[in-house]
Amino acid sequence: MSSQRDMLGRPLTAMELELLEVHTRLQRLAARGDLPPCVAAGTQAALGLSWQMANDLGLDVTGPDA
Amino acid sequence: MNANPYWNPKIEGMARPELEALQLAKLRRALRHAEGHSAFHRRKLAAAGVSAESVRTLADLRRIPFTTREEWMACQAETPLFGDMLAHPRERAIRYHLTSGTSGKNPLRVLDSRRDWQWIAECWAVGFWGFGVRPSDTVFFAFSYGSFIGFWGAHYACEKIGALTLASGNMPTDMRVRQILEMGVTTVCATPTYALRLAQSAAEQGLDIKNSAVNKVIVSGEPAGSIPETKRLIEEAWGAKVADTAGMTELGTICMFECSAQPGGMHIIEDHFLEEVLNPETGEPVAYGERGERVVTSFGREMIPVLRYRTRDLVERVPASRCSCGRVYDIYAGGILGRVDDMLLIRGTNVYPRAIESIVRAHAEIDEFQIVVARLNDMDEITLRVELKPSAADAWSRLEKQLHFDLKEAHEMLRFNVERAPDGSLPRFELKARRVVDQRRKS
Repeated sequence: MSSQRDMLGRPLTAMELELLEVHTRLQRLAARGDLPPCVAAGTQAALGLSWQMANDLGLDVTGPDA
Repeated sequence: MNANPYWNPKIEGMARPELEALQLAKLRRALRHAEGHSAFHRRKLAAAGVSAESVRTLADLRRIPFTTREEWMACQAETPLFGDMLAHPRERAIRYHLTSGTSGKNPLRVLDSRRDWQWIAECWAVGFWGFGVRPSDTVFFAFSYGSFIGFWGAHYACEKIGALTLASGNMPTDMRVRQILEMGVTTVCATPTYALRLAQSAAEQGLDIKNSAVNKVIVSGEPAGSIPETKRLIEEAWGAKVADTAGMTELGTICMFECSAQPGGMHIIEDHFLEEVLNPETGEPVAYGERGERVVTSFGREMIPVLRYRTRDLVERVPASRCSCGRVYDIYAGGILGRVDDMLLIRGTNVYPRAIESIVRAHAEIDEFQIVVARLNDMDEITLRVELKPSAADAWSRLEKQLHFDLKEAHEMLRFNVERAPDGSLPRFELKARRVVDQRRKS
């Protein structure tokens, strides 16, 4: 899948693009080494959710948490 | 309030060819994950000459080797505690659970990552939303939690949906009934057996659950949830609709659910699982409507990839069009029809516990039952032990004759012994009921 298409090769909707952007930003945040425990744990939890939403919609997210 | 009848409209409403294309993409992703991270699967896939890149169509699925429970147990015995199926180190896990060991074998130890836990809840959410659970519902879990996975995922699914979620933990049965009434619970989750036990407890306490706020009972854990006679008893006792769900502890979640249109079976959650129905002897696929063994591949499990797992569950798959709900998901007609290995051979006749239950549950006077098989003078004997509801003692003489007749007629004239068990003498179950006592295995 290119970043602009889902696992069926279809163009992403605006909602799907926004979701992927959130997921990517969460991945970037999680990769930082200076997060306090409350933010690190919350980011990991949010990443689990954003991955699941992307998976539900057939979006093939990749990266350290995927 | 979100009025959409589907939890995931993009997928549940898609056409079959699109679903199959998605399944192929997800299968390849699952294979990449398994061969990249799990030594167990890497070894097996390499021996079979299969890689993610070599899988071009769904038909290539059949080149992937089966995974059996015996292999899983063996790998955990060789590499305690979790075996080399694990795709990530233990540190990535946030949850631990055990299989129930229903089949008398050693339980399997299972680890779930954060993502697994989300996925487990997600699959339950598909099913609960499909049966009509909404944020306005109050959902009661008659479940003791602990290390058996049971309804854990369903609990989190209800929180995710936004329903008020009540965990009853180690609360005694009578107190559970009172809390269901006091809190205005709309949805009760339990095993089929325990849903009946709760109803019995309400009757003993003189409490009216039939006219309570409960309008949905969602069951899991036993095939009885799809036995029409058992289902009808639960529906009559609660004055509510009953939906069945089924999954596997190995996967941690449900793979199928009954939607609110209730087509006489359960929809397979096909964007999260690839389910095959095979002849258990030959391993060849069977056609729609033919009985075979479920073999499941998971698209969502991270810590422990599951590829072509032999479930030993017997099912009959029918097309999605059998249901009026419009979902793309195919259906297992009649739910889980039994287990490949739960058939009892009695003097040359095949006896399935599910068939006995359907006969027993046609009689509302029966509270609990047990099937005892023994070998006496080199002859197998099967005995149905029956406990009546306290108010139904007068019915015994008629019931005994009727049960003799019905059991014999349903089993090629095989003679069953039918005994009345003293009140309160048979075991009650909150988790999976174990009603077959095969004493031949001890001798």
